[in-house]
Amino acid sequence: MGPLIPNEIISPEWNHVFAVLIGIAFGIVMESSGFSSSRKIMGSFYGYDFTMIRVFMTAAITSLIGVLYMDYFGWIDRTELFVVPTYLGATITGGALMGLGFLAAGFCPGTSFLAAAIGKVDGMVFIGGAFLGILFFGEIFPLISDFYYANYLGHITVEESLGIAPDWFALIFAVIAVVVFYVLSIIRKSVEKVKY
Amino acid sequence: MNFLLEDRKTRIYWNPYFGGFLLGLIVIFSFYVSGRGIGASGGVKSAVVATVNAVAPSHAENSAYFSKFLKGDKSPLNTWLVFQMLGVIAGAFFSGAVNNRLKIRIQHSPKITAKTRLWFVLLGGFLFGGGSQLARGCTSGGALSGFAANSLGGLIIMISIFGSGYLFAYFFRKLWI
Amino acid sequence: MREELFVSGRNLPNIDPHLHAWHWPIPVYLFLGGLAAGLLFFASYYTILGKEKTMPTVVKWAPFIVPIALVVGLMALFYDLTNKLYFWRLYTTLRLESPMSWGAWVLMLVTPLSMVWVATYIKELIPSWDWKFPIIENTIEWFAKYRKVMAWILLPMSIILGIYTGILLSAFNARPLWNNSILGPLFLVSGLSTAAALIIWTSKDHAERLLFSKIDLVLIGIELFIIVHMMMGFMAGPSVQLEAAALLFGGAYTVVFWVFVVILGLLFPAALEIAELMGNKIPVAVPAIMVLMGGLIFRFVMVEAGQITRYLY
Repeated sequence: MGPLIPNEIISPEWNHVFAVLIGIAFGIVMESSGFSSSRKIMGSFYGYDFTMIRVFMTAAITSLIGVLYMDYFGWIDRTELFVVPTYLGATITGGALMGLGFLAAGFCPGTSFLAAAIGKVDGMVFIGGAFLGILFFGEIFPLISDFYYANYLGHITVEESLGIAPDWFALIFAVIAVVVFYVLSIIRKSVEKVKY
Repeated sequence: MNFLLEDRKTRIYWNPYFGGFLLGLIVIFSFYVSGRGIGASGGVKSAVVATVNAVAPSHAENSAYFSKFLKGDKSPLNTWLVFQMLGVIAGAFFSGAVNNRLKIRIQHSPKITAKTRLWFVLLGGFLFGGGSQLARGCTSGGALSGFAANSLGGLIIMISIFGSGYLFAYFFRKLWI
Repeated sequence: MREELFVSGRNLPNIDPHLHAWHWPIPVYLFLGGLAAGLLFFASYYTILGKEKTMPTVVKWAPFIVPIALVVGLMALFYDLTNKLYFWRLYTTLRLESPMSWGAWVLMLVTPLSMVWVATYIKELIPSWDWKFPIIENTIEWFAKYRKVMAWILLPMSIILGIYTGILLSAFNARPLWNNSILGPLFLVSGLSTAAALIIWTSKDHAERLLFSKIDLVLIGIELFIIVHMMMGFMAGPSVQLEAAALLFGGAYTVVFWVFVVILGLLFPAALEIAELMGNKIPVAVPAIMVLMGGLIFRFVMVEAGQITRYLY
């Protein structure tokens, strides 16, 4: 039956109403988990606070397993979900640039909005920077469009490309996550606590 | 809800596993209702397209990139992600309000000045903005939601963001520790 | 050449099938009228209770907005009139069955009275204020003695003004979205709620702010209650009313109504006000502005969506 709106079980006009509600829930959970603080986020890269990696991995596993269960019970048709198109070169290069941006700023676009919403000027400046970055990208797009469209693999899933069944993939990832959480809990005890 | 807090005495932030679990449920709900995950950079992109379209409409139409996101008479801001980001701002404001975190300030490591912080934030935003367009998604829309939909692109974005983060973390250490 | 002449009652451009008569000045006027009515209601109510000293913002300062709101609103209304030079004809008649007549006469009374009200307090706001002519000075002083009398006149007038902004629409019996008896109370409550929000925003007194946060919460609750019942009324109605309600339930006005009026204009500011009452520090301007924006957008939705709905097919 699901997804509800693409299958027109709910009229498409409601889509933006749900977008706002989902956004509010997202904002509350992310902010309450500490994602509005760049220093807390960057702790995961520098080993003094692992909140970001723990929240992110828990969320990733929960949603991966949850979507699989919803599919299994017939509440959602996984084949109708939006799958990001994969253009190998562009995706990897873009990801690497974002990693550098992450290190320089301590925000990703989502968290910068959280920070800006509670009055952090650095969050607002990040949004300005992202605005300029997208503008710049749009202006130089003709020069890099060949690269942007190169190595197209389609809207493919892990299942189709690597041949790992999604349930096995979820299981492997869950085991990895549990191991990571355990290791982090050991490291955390030996690291001095920092408050922001 | 005190038991949910990571540090019961200071009561600062939620337990990360609890927060992560709820975040996962929100992503599932988002897929269940709208067939798509949450995202952030797309909202900024809509703002860029709307600005370019308002300032120089003919330039926006001729631009190979921006013209992809212009849909006739509809405002480029009338998209799912823009409404979602509106909600994110409201939700974050609410959470900040009930936790007494609302304050105009520049957060930075004590070892750098506020000015340095802002320049690096601007640079980081610039890289993140450009990178998210190249990779067709950022940490939320590409990595988190893409991963939940089991898409290869989501997995690659996740690996490349965090991979490059850990790989180059050494060079940016002075900003943070 | 044979000419055929068709005469049809349906050839009514701008009225049939959709009304195209009312543009942005109308919702702006309805919003400002409701806001002014709410501010006057609170000012006169607390004057009658004798609370001028403890509630200075409500009684003395917020009413300064009333004449401005009324004048701007009436200018917007005047701007929207097609036959501007004939507006005075409203004052050649008094028709109890016409909401426009009620509104015209009430405004005729309320506007100057609110100006006098403000004038009696202007010396407290600006100590160096000088009326220049002794006759004006004496008149204002004379009025200042009779503030309670003015309050007794303004209290019912403000309620009539607040209800009239809704009744004006519900008197259109050919527009099903408007033609329900609950619209008047709904616009009154909405006007009171926006007025309470404005008082919270402008007040510097903590006790006053807390009281009006509570009042605003109750009003928001009543407003939601009335909106739900208006919808229930539509749902139980004939197909024209179902179609009118469908504009807000999955139709063209769904997003703007639910997102900007219900969620961000009522529920979210209410949650912030509750958080404030529970002892959190919240910049009061944020919920106040959201309630005010919600009230304005609500009138835009009702006026624009209402013009699309119709009985004839």
